[in-house]
Amino acid sequence: MRPLCVVGPGATTLTERLAARLDGRVVTVERLPDGSDPAPDSAASYGLADDGVWVGAGRDRSESDLLDHLSVDYDFALLAGFEHLRLPTVVLGEDTDRPDDREAESEPLYTVPSLDDADLDELATRIESLDPYVTLESLVARLKNDSRADRAGAIATFTGRVRAKDDDDDPRTTQLTFEKYDGVAEERLAAIKDDIEARDGVERVLMHHRTGVIEDGEDIVFVVVLAGHRTEAFRAVEDGINRLKDEVPIFKKETTVESDFWVHDKSS
Amino acid sequence: MQWKLFADLAETAGTRTVSLDADCDTVGDALDTLLSSRPALEARVLDDDGDVRDHINVLRNGENVFTGEGLDTPVDADDELALFPPVSGG
Repeated sequence: MRPLCVVGPGATTLTERLAARLDGRVVTVERLPDGSDPAPDSAASYGLADDGVWVGAGRDRSESDLLDHLSVDYDFALLAGFEHLRLPTVVLGEDTDRPDDREAESEPLYTVPSLDDADLDELATRIESLDPYVTLESLVARLKNDSRADRAGAIATFTGRVRAKDDDDDPRTTQLTFEKYDGVAEERLAAIKDDIEARDGVERVLMHHRTGVIEDGEDIVFVVVLAGHRTEAFRAVEDGINRLKDEVPIFKKETTVESDFWVHDKSS
Repeated sequence: MQWKLFADLAETAGTRTVSLDADCDTVGDALDTLLSSRPALEARVLDDDGDVRDHINVLRNGENVFTGEGLDTPVDADDELALFPPVSGG
């Protein structure tokens, strides 16, 4: 799924116009005002018609929970009134209310003077070329639909996430920042995938490593394997993550409540 | 040819990419040219004997030069060279 945030006057209208231009399954998300409570009697409520039409409302989802959930079912997500450090954003109108502290490594930012100045065809082309938002659930869903799934009785997965502490006395890790050697990292990942997929009983291997700023508790890396049986599935997952950590040129900077440091410096 | 620098090496150099116009025949020549005007980076990359520190990676077009001819590896004008510390993904 490729997500795009839109902020500024007319953001919701722009997401609706873009949704009509994009080729694929599009979900739009609108920002509700504070204090909204559309589902007063339950954690969530849905309405469903015989032809598949549905509406939903609930009270317990964060922005990242929602993105993770949508990533399984949609090709594009257009979020009106939201900004996110790692997601590309279109800004409509005068850029006056936004903080200036966006870091240089955050995603590209497009600015459009007003709703009617937006070139929908150009925006649609740009959205189609964005990096996908990948989650464990979206990778598992891809493997279940894989052409080799008929041969596979096992899906095994590894998720690497930001660990706040190694020890009770550790200063809390608030975020990690990853940079990648673009091009070479993808070549190395492809080589690892090819090696492991060549094994008997291993049908498909998917690996994804996020880059940029990743906060405490968020997911960093996924290795997902479709295999005939559990033994080769577990082994392939373990070898995949170990080789990724040894061979792929990705670099981690850790930010704790006390300091910033490159992880290879600390351990050497 | 162009050097790409990563992680603390890019911070030490104050840049992520350095284009070299100089005539370089080998990766070693290109490394000397890169480091000659950047003493802080040189101290980070070379040990007291002037050798590349064990944990520093040097790549030419995506391949680790130390699995082949090392710093004697020939270079072409359109090569991409890379210098980085131990990888730390995951």
